[in-house]
Amino acid sequence: MNQRITALTRLLQFSDATFPVGTFSFSNGLETASYEKTVHDAATLEQYARAAARQAAFSDGVAALAAHRATLAGDAEALRLTDSRLILFKMNDEARLMLRRMGKKLAELGVKLFPESKLLADWLADIDAGRTPGSYPVAQGIVFALAGLSEEDLYASSQYGVINMILGAALRCVRVSHYDTQQILFRLAAEIPDLFAEAREMDFADMNCFVPEMDILASLHEKGAMRMFMS
Amino acid sequence: MNETRIKRQYSDSPEVDFSKAREMRPYLSEPQAMYVGCPGKHGYLDLGFELDSDGKSILRQLDRRAPLIVQQELYFDEKMPDMPCVYILSSGGPNVDGDRYRQDITVRKGAKAWVSTGAATKLATMKYNYSGMVQNITLEEDAYLEFLPEPIIPHAHTRFICDTRLTVHPSATAVYSEIYMGGRKHYNGGELFKFDILSVCSHGHRPDGDELFREKFIISPDRANLRDTGVMGGYDVFANVIVMAPADKAEEVYAATDPFIDRDRRLAAGITHLPNGAGLLFKVLGMEPGPVKGVVRDFCSKVRMAVKGVPLPAEFPWR
Repeated sequence: MNQRITALTRLLQFSDATFPVGTFSFSNGLETASYEKTVHDAATLEQYARAAARQAAFSDGVAALAAHRATLAGDAEALRLTDSRLILFKMNDEARLMLRRMGKKLAELGVKLFPESKLLADWLADIDAGRTPGSYPVAQGIVFALAGLSEEDLYASSQYGVINMILGAALRCVRVSHYDTQQILFRLAAEIPDLFAEAREMDFADMNCFVPEMDILASLHEKGAMRMFMS
Repeated sequence: MNETRIKRQYSDSPEVDFSKAREMRPYLSEPQAMYVGCPGKHGYLDLGFELDSDGKSILRQLDRRAPLIVQQELYFDEKMPDMPCVYILSSGGPNVDGDRYRQDITVRKGAKAWVSTGAATKLATMKYNYSGMVQNITLEEDAYLEFLPEPIIPHAHTRFICDTRLTVHPSATAVYSEIYMGGRKHYNGGELFKFDILSVCSHGHRPDGDELFREKFIISPDRANLRDTGVMGGYDVFANVIVMAPADKAEEVYAATDPFIDRDRRLAAGITHLPNGAGLLFKVLGMEPGPVKGVVRDFCSKVRMAVKGVPLPAEFPWR
């Protein structure tokens, strides 16, 4: 029971918006979506956040689960494979940058939280030496496994992170209130179990996403001058 | 029904195997009409372009099985009159329940080619199984290919899966485009996003087999609302263009291409880099296939300009 309380506290810590991995500096294209009036109210924001969550659900989420399993098996090779498979699925410069930057930060923080883990120390060394891209979902999988958190915990946190990143950015660039964003988060959370049920059965070959409007907005951000957020 | 039990004894086309595709598992019954993979429903195309002894690009290899038809290469591109152009036709009309296709296109060292379809590809309504296509597109050193087929139109309750492997030498350039309509927009009061599933995977490799990128869409209106902001939003037509090209040429095209959202014409396009230095990815959203195709052709023209120094000719007025 007491162990579960510690584990739940770890889950809150790793999922917190202030967890220092740089979440706040990315908007997943929302900055451009707001500027272009594609996202302009609570309804369009909810759809956009749902699209982002589904995009991550069957790519980042699948990679995070694979990394969690590889960590429990002590399989460093599987971690590198997961990392490279996720990066070659990411079709956007800023998305790759975001995943790598946050992934490295989490690995750096992780070695301080879990100094006894050789797997994590080796993982950070692999990133520093350029042997692996070091994406965020893989680092999440490692850290959650080391903390004794479950696949469900990991997946919930991964989805929460994506949705909350968008909603946090929305408070700074879309005309919505805290009441709006909290209701959206509350509703979208109810959709995560179905996504998890699918994602947990998926292999790298099954990873998929379809968000063409988000892709175009990301491209406008990438080639544009807007820079409140890095994506 | 297990895919491996399906009869295929009368067809000598290479097997088209999607038994590992989890998303197609609900659609594995045997059609009541012609069985899965039977002759006439198991198309095969093997196109090989190469330089002849005079250094002219020709269609040297042509093997086909019904319903796919390629007759011969033509040289109708006014800007590149030495480039063989080929239309892929299908004698069967639309793709139907349980048919399978395989298309192999190889452009050998230094050769060039242009490939399209004669008309839009219709994906008919299906009840039992699905339609599947495997494509292998291979470009050797300094080869050049423009693959610009007409749009794909998914009818209500169709199921389609496509796997395209692009194997491209670092010195070669491949433009691979796909245009998907949401459905028969003006048929029977509108039939947009009524299909069961479209599963589309394109992956790029180097000749040594290294995978550089992999993009997969599983589009199913029953699973997610395609009208959501960020997905299709208010748009009805989607195009995806993959360009695998040498890095300097890709940079030239990237610099020359401006992403845009045009609210008046209800047209939008974006460009980004593929992972691992593979090239570029260009996406277009619009309301009607004509303008989307126009944007795709303009983009392809930039690639041709960067690599071959000439633009695309004006489209034929009847296309």
